[in-house]
Amino acid sequence: MTAARKRDDVAAASALITLEGRLLDEKRFEAWLDLYTEDAVYWAPAAIDQPDPDNHVSLFYDDKPTMRLRVGRLRHPEIHVQTPASRTCRLISILEVGGDQGGDGYKAISNFILVEYRPGFEQRLYAGTYEHRLVRKGNDLKISWKKATLINCDAAFPAIALPF
Amino acid sequence: MAAIGTQELQSLVKPDRIHRRVFVDPAIFDLEMARIFGRMWIYVGHESQIRKPGDFLCTRIGREPVILSRHADGSVHVLHNRCAHRGSKVVTQECGNTKRFQCMYHGWTYHTDGRLAGLPMQAEEEKDGFDFSAPDFGMRPVARCQSHHGFVFANLSPSGPSLVEAMGEARHAFDEFVAAAPDGEVELAGGCHRYEYRGNWKHQLENLTDTYHTVATHASTVAPDGTQFKRRTGTKGTDVQFYDREKRPVILDVGVTVYPGGHSSTESLFPEGQSGGVWEEYRALLAARHGIERANELLTQKIHNLTLFPSFDLLVVQNAIRVILPIGVDRTEVRIYPVRLKGAPEAVFQEQVRYVNLTHSASSFVQSDDLEAFRRQQEGVESDAQEWCLATRGQKRERYDNRHVGHGDKTTEIGQRHQHQAWLDLMCAE
Ligand code: FES
Ligand SMILES: [Fe+2]
Repeated sequence: MTAARKRDDVAAASALITLEGRLLDEKRFEAWLDLYTEDAVYWAPAAIDQPDPDNHVSLFYDDKPTMRLRVGRLRHPEIHVQTPASRTCRLISILEVGGDQGGDGYKAISNFILVEYRPGFEQRLYAGTYEHRLVRKGNDLKISWKKATLINCDAAFPAIALPF
Repeated sequence: MAAIGTQELQSLVKPDRIHRRVFVDPAIFDLEMARIFGRMWIYVGHESQIRKPGDFLCTRIGREPVILSRHADGSVHVLHNRCAHRGSKVVTQECGNTKRFQCMYHGWTYHTDGRLAGLPMQAEEEKDGFDFSAPDFGMRPVARCQSHHGFVFANLSPSGPSLVEAMGEARHAFDEFVAAAPDGEVELAGGCHRYEYRGNWKHQLENLTDTYHTVATHASTVAPDGTQFKRRTGTKGTDVQFYDREKRPVILDVGVTVYPGGHSSTESLFPEGQSGGVWEEYRALLAARHGIERANELLTQKIHNLTLFPSFDLLVVQNAIRVILPIGVDRTEVRIYPVRLKGAPEAVFQEQVRYVNLTHSASSFVQSDDLEAFRRQQEGVESDAQEWCLATRGQKRERYDNRHVGHGDKTTEIGQRHQHQAWLDLMCAE
């Protein structure tokens, strides 16, 4: 891989992951869904070093139809756990971009801090690592797989309504 | 502890209502820890979680930290997690494998059955005449520990009915749950979901037998055609019908059965059972063992969940268990463990794991709104504007048979009334 290509990949990954965070924080959930391929997986393990989502429970293990359902529910007027709705703000820092996947895709690893405030509740703080698998679709870069591992993913949580 | 008298307790529970105080008074919570969690069979773990000698896990019985362990000889023990020396909590890891438990403070070590193994400078003290083999120098075992299909329950009280006696009429549904495993055995294998809420533990308990709340609480999970999201693969029994074509809330038709001892079950939301896809392979495996008639019976679940008072729930439809761990009068933790039916196709287990994420994790479509309800209940009852919480529904339509098993039809609150009575009986026993 040329240095120029590598630079482009880092810039594109960084732009996409930053945009994803922003769309979630701004509750533009439909636009968020559009960042994902149709065969995408969104996974948040419930244990550190959890090997797979098939034989162990996860906080999130969504395929695209499930992600759509989740967004549909977030738009539902009677989603009580988001009445009133939370406000979120996340900081993302890219750590590493690489792992050429046969030329049309690659991986990105980043750390995140997510602050959630829901009126009437104490402010909540999440921190962890994102792993994204990104694929080129024509001129677009899309997310085909995302894993969000919280540092306390095996803790007992109050209700969680929003994706990380 | 200033004792709360029997009369005072009786004034808190009426046949169709319960006083707000039982959810908010720390003195009531203290008494519950002594008279309910201190005297009843409390689930601590499954034997499959401590398969090998030296395996252990830590949990609580009420507020009491305990260790479930497998000793070198294969025996199962439940020990108070407290050092005999000067009282430190000995084990802080959630689970693991060890030859001995060692207290960090002065280094006393214990065998995995609780007996003292040794201590620094032991010989000198023995010269002084101490006999370290006396029980006083070991980690104290919990008074009683019994298991049913590998589910270990412990009891802090040395007297009272056995585990099976305490389950009584509710036992049948428990046994049927396990019989649905082609090998006749189950194990915990998929980790656990944990959630917590700022609210009393009884909000969760009452909710387990609440067939009245679904339409309101879970409105956001229902599609315009009246069905909920898909919970399983296959052709039948895949998603829950909330409304029929005439927009009638058919989900509210579900009834509740109560059993002596405060236990209860709710009718299945999938009365036709499930079929198609991997379920046919599963059915064939069951049929090979029991014949097709029994296989069909086992795959047509009659009950949705079975709740053993005070803190254990079998989610029959999800193949999971739920355990309530009270933390304080207004703080509760709950854990959900998927159960693997041994001998069933791998895909059945993986499907259960996948769907329990959607129904019962902290981030699920269903449980998250129940958690919102528990928190709001707590905020509501913390106000003394009104004294009572009502559980009046279906009182005129409930009926009991000669085994004292009761049944209420749609949207009944027989389950809550029954739990309140069991609670009162236990709390009033000196
Ligand atoms: S308190 Fe445990 S060894 Fe002293
Ligand atoms: Fe519910």
